[in-house]
Amino acid sequence: MTETSTERPVAGAPPRDDILLDVRNLKTYFRVMDGVVPAVDGVNFSLGKGHTLGIVGESGSGKSVTALTVMRLLDIPPAEIGEDSEAWFDGRDLLKLPESDMRRIRGNDIAMIFQEPLTSLNPVFTVGDQIAEQVELHMKVKAREARDRAVEMLRLVGIPSPERRAKQYPHELSGGMRQRVMIGMALSCEPKLLIADEPTTALDVTVQAQILELLKAIQERTGAALILITHDLGVVAEMVDNVIVMYAGQVVEQGTVDQVLLEPRMPYTMGLIESIPTVEKRGGRLSAISGVVPSPFHLPPHCRFEPRCPYRWETCRTVTPELYNAGDGRVARCHLHLVEATARREAAIAQHRQNMAMGRRFTGAPDRLGDR
Amino acid sequence: MTAAATPSVAEPTVKRKLRRRPPAAIRNGRALMIAIAGYVAAGLFILLLGLVIGARGVSGIILPALAVVVPIVVLCILTVRLTRTRQVWALALVVGWAAVVAVAVGFLIATMASRQPDANATFFAQLLLTPPFFLAVASAWHFLRGARWFNGEWEHPLKADESGARPISAPLVVSAPPAPADSVPSAAHATAGTAPLAAAGAPAAPVAPGMDGHEPEIRPIVAPEVAAPASAEAGRPLVSVQGLKKHFPIYGGVLRRQIGTVYAVDGVDFDIMPGETFSLVGESGCGKTTLGRTVIQLTPSTDGRVVFDGYELADVDPEDMRPLRRRMQIIFQDPFGSLNPRMPISDIIGEGLLAQGLTDRQARDKRTEDALELVGLRREYTRRYPHEFSGGQRQRIGVARALALGPDFIVADEPVSALDVSIQSQVLNLLLDLKRDLKLTYLFISHNLSVVQYFSDRVAVMYLGKIAEIGTVDQLYADPRHPYTVALLSAIPEADPRRRRKRLVLKGDVPSPAAPPSGCRFHTRCWLRERLGNPERCTTEDPALRTFGEEGHRVACHFAEDISQTTVEQATAEAPAVVAAAVEGE
Ligand SMILES: Nc1ncnc2c1ncn2[C@@H]1O[C@H](COP(=O)(O)OP(=O)(O)O)[C@@H](O)[C@H]1O
Ligand code: SF4
Ligand code: SF4
Ligand SMILES: [Mg+2]
Repeated sequence: MTETSTERPVAGAPPRDDILLDVRNLKTYFRVMDGVVPAVDGVNFSLGKGHTLGIVGESGSGKSVTALTVMRLLDIPPAEIGEDSEAWFDGRDLLKLPESDMRRIRGNDIAMIFQEPLTSLNPVFTVGDQIAEQVELHMKVKAREARDRAVEMLRLVGIPSPERRAKQYPHELSGGMRQRVMIGMALSCEPKLLIADEPTTALDVTVQAQILELLKAIQERTGAALILITHDLGVVAEMVDNVIVMYAGQVVEQGTVDQVLLEPRMPYTMGLIESIPTVEKRGGRLSAISGVVPSPFHLPPHCRFEPRCPYRWETCRTVTPELYNAGDGRVARCHLHLVEATARREAAIAQHRQNMAMGRRFTGAPDRLGDR
Repeated sequence: MTAAATPSVAEPTVKRKLRRRPPAAIRNGRALMIAIAGYVAAGLFILLLGLVIGARGVSGIILPALAVVVPIVVLCILTVRLTRTRQVWALALVVGWAAVVAVAVGFLIATMASRQPDANATFFAQLLLTPPFFLAVASAWHFLRGARWFNGEWEHPLKADESGARPISAPLVVSAPPAPADSVPSAAHATAGTAPLAAAGAPAAPVAPGMDGHEPEIRPIVAPEVAAPASAEAGRPLVSVQGLKKHFPIYGGVLRRQIGTVYAVDGVDFDIMPGETFSLVGESGCGKTTLGRTVIQLTPSTDGRVVFDGYELADVDPEDMRPLRRRMQIIFQDPFGSLNPRMPISDIIGEGLLAQGLTDRQARDKRTEDALELVGLRREYTRRYPHEFSGGQRQRIGVARALALGPDFIVADEPVSALDVSIQSQVLNLLLDLKRDLKLTYLFISHNLSVVQYFSDRVAVMYLGKIAEIGTVDQLYADPRHPYTVALLSAIPEADPRRRRKRLVLKGDVPSPAAPPSGCRFHTRCWLRERLGNPERCTTEDPALRTFGEEGHRVACHFAEDISQTTVEQATAEAPAVVAAAVEGE
């Protein structure tokens, strides 16, 4: 259900009925002392009803800001949203809605789960009261009924003895429990879309497994659509159908999870996947992406990945790449997909396959690339 | 940036030889002497204050007080210094001086009466002077009790039959001739009790003293010809941890009384061979970081022993830990919190060098720059401050700080956990390069099982302060034998959608280490126990770490034999049903 930029509906008109969220040319800037940070710079994607979408990228690539912009949770200023940006949800453009409508949508139709649940839970109320309040507000039920429903929610997310837990305060719960409470709260109003921003990053592996299983089970049951934001490609592989890869505020590759993880077509994605340590790479070096993410104030003028790209050539320094069709419905922001670069593309893909097979063997001189 | 290109600095040598830490009796005696010195000095200070504000009668006693207090302080300091000299004449002097202090104080008490016409004031002055008198007597008594220390024949408190290893009775003083290796009865070790060493493939080498006559000195950071640690040739572990425990008291209530104990590390044994990468994995709160810090004695242990290159760390005189500290360094997890934001990089890295006695500013800066270059940063960065660097660069600075001291052994505590994938692989590569070039030995702490599998030679899985399973990477990942290891491996999310699979999901969270479950600590979450119909043994008997199958593969589970492909598959098929049931339950 992920569409490429080439087949988009006209600006200003709602998308097809089966599209739940359609984000068009989303731009979010932050005006700070040192200048302007283009945190999100022209992001397009759409998400079908009941589908799952993963947004991956390194920290600072704009994943969270994308979600927060759609949820209208950013303070304006310092944030600034592009004039022609649109985010169509259920036939309405979220970015143009009055704040009162937006408040109703948040919690009723779209719910968000954050990485650190402790900061998003109120420390002075019991978790049961917090969920009940949410339910009361959005579902217009009586207080007693809301409380029952809160306990029910806690049971649903797999919290043992929910009656007792409902009377506890957030700090009395472990990280995994708090994340369950957050999920319970997010689901209490049966949203159509769940946005989870790094929901398991702060958790241990076994608890992460619990939360992911829970998210899957619940998503299957309620039929909610899911946007999963993470830097962990393993979590993405496990959870979603479609993937967007972000780099320096832009979408650089987009496709199904199999396409993006197994046959990446953009050098940054290739590098990310190659750098994951696996058993096959034991005894050798990991192939690392050299250098660091560019400062948002000094973005390379054309391809933003160019300074770190092992496959770059003259064109990359003179022409700005767009999202090109990279076959089978996927898109990649890379000149390798120009027709005249076929040979380079094939060489890059072959190199990627080789890197995946073995990692780079130790060679004589150590190459401590660092930041040079 | 090759190794040879880094020129060496004029190296300061640590002149003093390593000394053993004196026994408790001597330490108590010293503490008492220091207390006396502090007490009488404080008294003198108050008198002087009285003189300044012109209190009545003070001027009369100030001179005799000075005459007595100053020698007492000097004698106290001399006594403390002399306990370092392990000669019989020193004992005579120490006890003698303690006695002199007692007499001097007694004299002061006696003279009070004649000097002071005011009976009340005299009484109070005498009352104030009684504590140092008794302290001095007690101190002399403690020194006498520890008299054997001065004979140079203080035995290691752990006896051979208790610890399962040969006691390190040879003195830590370097001049002693090294014990011939073949004179060591290795049978004693093999037959010994409950905690045999966990050396994979290593002959159960007894921990012989590492005293081979060479003075410890700061070696250059990069010196390919550098002598490997003494343990390398002998084929014995560089680090040997036996029965190590670290408990933290919990204080609470109005009176701040101890209301409980956190059993952070609770009886851990393992060996790390020179040049090896040994990893600790486990969930947060299971004691990995505490164990790492205790191994290099950043936090003192509650019980058990750590032998580093032949030195029994708990026994080394704290002042003499310095040359050993240099050889054991740590890299911290948090690249943001672990560097002081107000210090330039030159000071952050130079701090440790200064502590090691490299006082020459220029030599220090030179070495700092060498270290930066070694980790792939520019030499000019010494003038900058931490906030000017990205996470990956800061982690490199953390590595440089450790390397500047030229260590043999590095505890890397989650060094890549806070970093993005692409930066993580850069830092892992760096650590691998450095290990190869500098012949380092790593204790690598991580909760990421993929990274551990890629990075290490041997792995120990920790759960609530104990080792659940230990073995080589191949043994552990191909044939996990502890239900916890099985669950951890099953929980790894793999970046390959083709390998999407059902997971074996554990119930609940790690219990609090302040109240570990009875018997097997894992029993509250154990899927195997559930499958076996909750055998009583799991809740009553703490499973010992026993060898399973191949040499070096050890597991702490009564029922490790019952783990098979089938049981795991059955458990996996059932586990998600728990979640599903909860969902259906609505
Ligand atoms: N409130 C803010 N003020 C200024 N810059 C911000 C603010 N929030 C985010 N940014 C910047 O926006 C960029 C993208 O951030 P973010 O969306 O959080 O990335 P991700 O979620 O991918 O880690 C970063 O460069 C970040 O520094
Ligand atoms: S456009 Fe050029 S520099 Fe950019 S990713 Fe593609 S090949 Fe690399
Ligand atoms: S001893 Fe019992 S509870 Fe402990 S791991 Fe083995 S089966 Fe599980
Ligand atoms: Mg984020």
